[in-house]
Amino acid sequence: MNSNLTSKLPVREHIKNIKKLLKTVHDMEKTYFPMVCLVHVINVIVPYTELVLSAYILDGVSQGRGIGELMPVIAAVTAVIFVLHCLTSRVWNRICKIKQDDMYYRYSCMIETKMLKMDYSRIDSPEVRELKNRILSDNNWGAGLYSTFWQTDTLIYVFFNLIGAIVVGMPVLFYIAETKRGEVFVILLILLIFSAVCLKCRMYFMKKSQRFMYKEYTDKEKEEKTTFAWTFSMGDGYDYKNGKDIRIYNGYNLMKRWTTDVIFQKPFRKELKDGVAGEAGGGFFGTIITGAMEGSSYLLVAILALAGSMSVGSVVKLAGCLKNIFSDIISLINSVAEFAMTARKQMSTFEFLEISDEMYKGKLPLEKRSDNQYQIEFRHVFFKYPGAKEYALKDFSMKLKIGEKLAIVGMNGSGKTTMIKLLCRLYDPEKGEILLNGVDIKKFRQEEYSRLFSVVFQDYTLMPFKLAENVAVDTKYDAASVKKSLSDSGFEERLSELEQGIDTYIYKSYNDNGVEVSGGEAQKIAIARAVYKDSPFVLLDEPTAALDPLSEYEIYTNFDKIIGSKTAIYISHRLSSCKFCEKIAVFHKGKLIQIGSHEELVKEKNGKYYEMWEAQAQYYRENGIEVHA
Amino acid sequence: MKEENVYLKHYSILSDIFYFVKYFKKYEPAVLICCMIEIILSAVLPLVGIYLPKITLDLVTNQVDIGYAIIVLGLFTFLMMGVYGINTAVGSGKYYLYNAQRTNIIGLLFLKSLRIKYADTESGEIKKAYWKAVETATNGDWSASSRIISGSITMMKSVLCFLLYSTVLSFLSIWMVAVLIGLSLLSYLISLNRIKFTESLREEEAEVTKKYYCVKNSMGNVEAAKDIRIFGMNHWLTKLRDISLGELRELNKKRTRKAEQYEKLNFALSMLRDFMAYGFLLYQVTNQGLSVSEFVLYFGAITGFSGFVGDIMNGIAELREAANSTDYYRAYMELPEEDRNNGKRHIIELEFPVKIEFRNVCFAYKEYMEEDEKDNNQKEGTVKGEEKELTGERNANIFRNFNLTINSGEKIALVGVNGAGKTTFVKLLTGMLEPDSGQILINGIDTREFPKEEFYKLFSVVFQEQFIPPFTIAENIALNRRDEVDEARAWQAVEKAGLKQVFEEKNITLDSWMTRKLIESGIDFSGGQRQRFLLARALYKDAPILILDEPTAALDPIAESEIYESYHKYSSQKTSVFISHRLASTRFSDRIIMIENGEILEMGTHKELMEKNGAYARMYEVQSNYYK
Repeated sequence: MNSNLTSKLPVREHIKNIKKLLKTVHDMEKTYFPMVCLVHVINVIVPYTELVLSAYILDGVSQGRGIGELMPVIAAVTAVIFVLHCLTSRVWNRICKIKQDDMYYRYSCMIETKMLKMDYSRIDSPEVRELKNRILSDNNWGAGLYSTFWQTDTLIYVFFNLIGAIVVGMPVLFYIAETKRGEVFVILLILLIFSAVCLKCRMYFMKKSQRFMYKEYTDKEKEEKTTFAWTFSMGDGYDYKNGKDIRIYNGYNLMKRWTTDVIFQKPFRKELKDGVAGEAGGGFFGTIITGAMEGSSYLLVAILALAGSMSVGSVVKLAGCLKNIFSDIISLINSVAEFAMTARKQMSTFEFLEISDEMYKGKLPLEKRSDNQYQIEFRHVFFKYPGAKEYALKDFSMKLKIGEKLAIVGMNGSGKTTMIKLLCRLYDPEKGEILLNGVDIKKFRQEEYSRLFSVVFQDYTLMPFKLAENVAVDTKYDAASVKKSLSDSGFEERLSELEQGIDTYIYKSYNDNGVEVSGGEAQKIAIARAVYKDSPFVLLDEPTAALDPLSEYEIYTNFDKIIGSKTAIYISHRLSSCKFCEKIAVFHKGKLIQIGSHEELVKEKNGKYYEMWEAQAQYYRENGIEVHA
Repeated sequence: MKEENVYLKHYSILSDIFYFVKYFKKYEPAVLICCMIEIILSAVLPLVGIYLPKITLDLVTNQVDIGYAIIVLGLFTFLMMGVYGINTAVGSGKYYLYNAQRTNIIGLLFLKSLRIKYADTESGEIKKAYWKAVETATNGDWSASSRIISGSITMMKSVLCFLLYSTVLSFLSIWMVAVLIGLSLLSYLISLNRIKFTESLREEEAEVTKKYYCVKNSMGNVEAAKDIRIFGMNHWLTKLRDISLGELRELNKKRTRKAEQYEKLNFALSMLRDFMAYGFLLYQVTNQGLSVSEFVLYFGAITGFSGFVGDIMNGIAELREAANSTDYYRAYMELPEEDRNNGKRHIIELEFPVKIEFRNVCFAYKEYMEEDEKDNNQKEGTVKGEEKELTGERNANIFRNFNLTINSGEKIALVGVNGAGKTTFVKLLTGMLEPDSGQILINGIDTREFPKEEFYKLFSVVFQEQFIPPFTIAENIALNRRDEVDEARAWQAVEKAGLKQVFEEKNITLDSWMTRKLIESGIDFSGGQRQRFLLARALYKDAPILILDEPTAALDPIAESEIYESYHKYSSQKTSVFISHRLASTRFSDRIIMIENGEILEMGTHKELMEKNGAYARMYEVQSNYYK
């Protein structure tokens, strides 16, 4: 795949891109292009009517026709023009404009819509991340789909205008063909050569400006030319809370160096200068052609009129038409080139939309069991994250029994969360298999299989919408169940403070009247969401990290109530909270190294569990290692 | 107007234009020169357009020699080429120049946020002012600076054209000019109405687009992808997306319907104008001896005339909006800054380790102060409720007569439930927030008497929010420019923080890059390593007061234990404050202070507090229960 927009591309590819883009727009709104054509046909008819009208008036005047004879015609024609204007205004505003805006917004969230459904394993893979970066830089300049609208608009208009000019200005072409004046051919020849030279110069400069727009930096250039002014100021990679560090550590100069200073340093200035020169030069050579064309079309008509006989009306009309013929041809060439670029820029987006899924899509319906008799087994599972070198899980085997409460402990990076992700089938194992009641989980319909799990991930996310919708994960919900879930998770107290109750928006990004929630409260909402889902498996991945001991205790006492007879897996760094599980699994470097009850494990003095337990427990023992006497 | 920003001042359009003129004069004067050239040339441009047919007709009707015609029209063509070419060149060149400046404009805004008081950046009002200002600079061609430029150019060139055309037409008839101005006024009124209508939709538009982008971003949130799949959120989110799209469509319908009405009115006006122009000019030709070429010239001038009036209106509309957003930008840029150099006392006078004293400190978050007016009305109640949340710590907003002495070289552990006021305590101590009354003293000197610049030197703090920008390791450790970093000291800090081994294993140098955000080969640290890395920053600074705010929340037991130990090891000779949920940490401190709702509940050594059998003992029991 060619990632650099400035590199050469065969014409064939350009045509393919253009076709693809046009087809996409056409598929979204079938009537859009026909309507735009209609509008522009009328848009072209109007000025030529005016041109013909003024020629008619001029000729009438020079032939001595009176006002009384001319005025009715003028009145009729201006009235017709008015009606035509109103017609285009109607079609344009009521149909074309509305469709444009609608398509623009629909198109601009297509990637996000795709992200809802594509394989999880792909969504954050290095290739997709790189593709997303490319989409970002491809769309850095220009106006997204609006560029397409504007440019097709110009193309369509210019096309019809050219036809109009040729039809109305046909006589001038005959005049030119028949004339014997050498000057006419000399001028035409000069014009042709001049245009060719100018277009060539324009290409040279445009290349420069495109290099500026679609640059790709080496690491060294990144260091010299990157500015974080945009990202930091928009809260990406910097939060106002980090202002404490900046003040305490006097980081102002460092932040200045990475934001505004860069812009005035040599490397950045030089690049900008090249870009400006490219754009200015391209613009210059593009428009002097237009100037030359306009001037010489009048000159040509003047010569023809002086050489032969031509009415004054015809001079005005034909010179106008000739000017249009010339300039339309030039702008067709320019617009097509520009549109080819626009189309090319959208290819990365299409590439994203066409990413195929790699995971096997099972068709097997899940057997609904009211008794929740589900058993899970990991059999010699190997797994590596996309792009990673080391295995996150290595020859991992484990069985999960119904109704069991299992705790998983281990150091950071020991594979605890990975195991949960595989269990939920966010990823498929590289080798080995995971079985549900003896059947490989790949064979089940993903959507049905997902229903088996209620998960609270370590990095759970709440959406900035209504509280109730967050719990129910739908716009429709059962208010009573939502409330019950929230009170089960311990959110009741805060809920009673909220005036809008469960209709309160969380955060302010969607609704200004939304409320902010603290880390602990957010966690409770996430737990409520899991409760509402009421799945046979409950998986909790470090749900209490952000909580103080008392809230933690509160949540743990609630868990027992919430979970009841369901199968549950806890992951926690606080070994104390695992103590009550019937079984504790100790993970180390992607392997299950110990499994058993707390009492059993703590007896193995050489085991990892004992080591971790001691690290924490020492502080809580009255006779523990006192550091301070 | 709801919730008008208190800092917002409304300047005149002219004042806002000068604001950016001054800006460009300082940072990119070429923009101004380009603008001037563009204004003059684009005023000449349409004039060339109406004179070209006239001259041609003159030549033809006078039956001049062909050679002469070639010379005249040839020269004219060169003139046109020059005007066209230069006009476009300065126009597009300038576009790049001022767009590049937008990066500086937004950067200056960001830097400004670092120069105002930290407490201000936490205030809801100022946060709102900040985001409003950011919006005005990040909106592409609709940004304040861009629109001020394009609006001014449109405006000035059309005023110039208007004058030029009026002059041309006044040769024909003053009355004609008067009638045209009359018609223009009519169309001015129509346009003004239209501008007002568009402006009236602005708020709704902002609201609806905001919602759309919010849904879009939620759908595309990679971090939420797991939850989206497990909870089958795609149905919910696509429903919300469709609702948003529907709202956008409705809004657009409203807008285009109105646009159509205005367009029709304007078409009617131009029909009237054209009809009159033809009639008047015809009359002139037949009765006053106006030549055919003049007919063409004046007709062009008359139809062009109304175009300029339209452009003036567009210019005004654009400038009005641009001035509006410029006001938001200026409101933030003109906020008072923190004076960091003023103070009577100097830290050189201090003897280390220092003694810290809170004396009758009262503090309440500003937004929370209307507590007593709670029953004013419902709406305000909600607003207050939110502001309270913004501070991150509920119930922690009030310190009343808070007294505490931390002896020189003492190690304090600060404990309490979420929202007890621990973080507020740290912010007060480090001068991020100022007490409403009472004093905070260092070795008996009121902290306000030190210049802030010096005062900040007293602290090494590891805050809860980890700030690790994608710069080099050296820049991260020193939080200073690369060329200012003391390399030997940086290495020492790395070693002390226990990162040496990791650095060696992964071949990390001071010039390696943190995170992959900028450089693909950047370093990604694990949670524990990040904590240590931040510790290295604190150690590099080596300030007399060391503060750690809950550094171990996400760590595994062994990493946690190691962090406590390194902290302990390097805090000798320093006065230190350690905040943690994990009571285990308290074992490393000389004294434990338990706070709740901004008050000291209990204080003493672990042993004393356990004997007291109060809140601390209860909290400890809850946790240690499991470990017995």
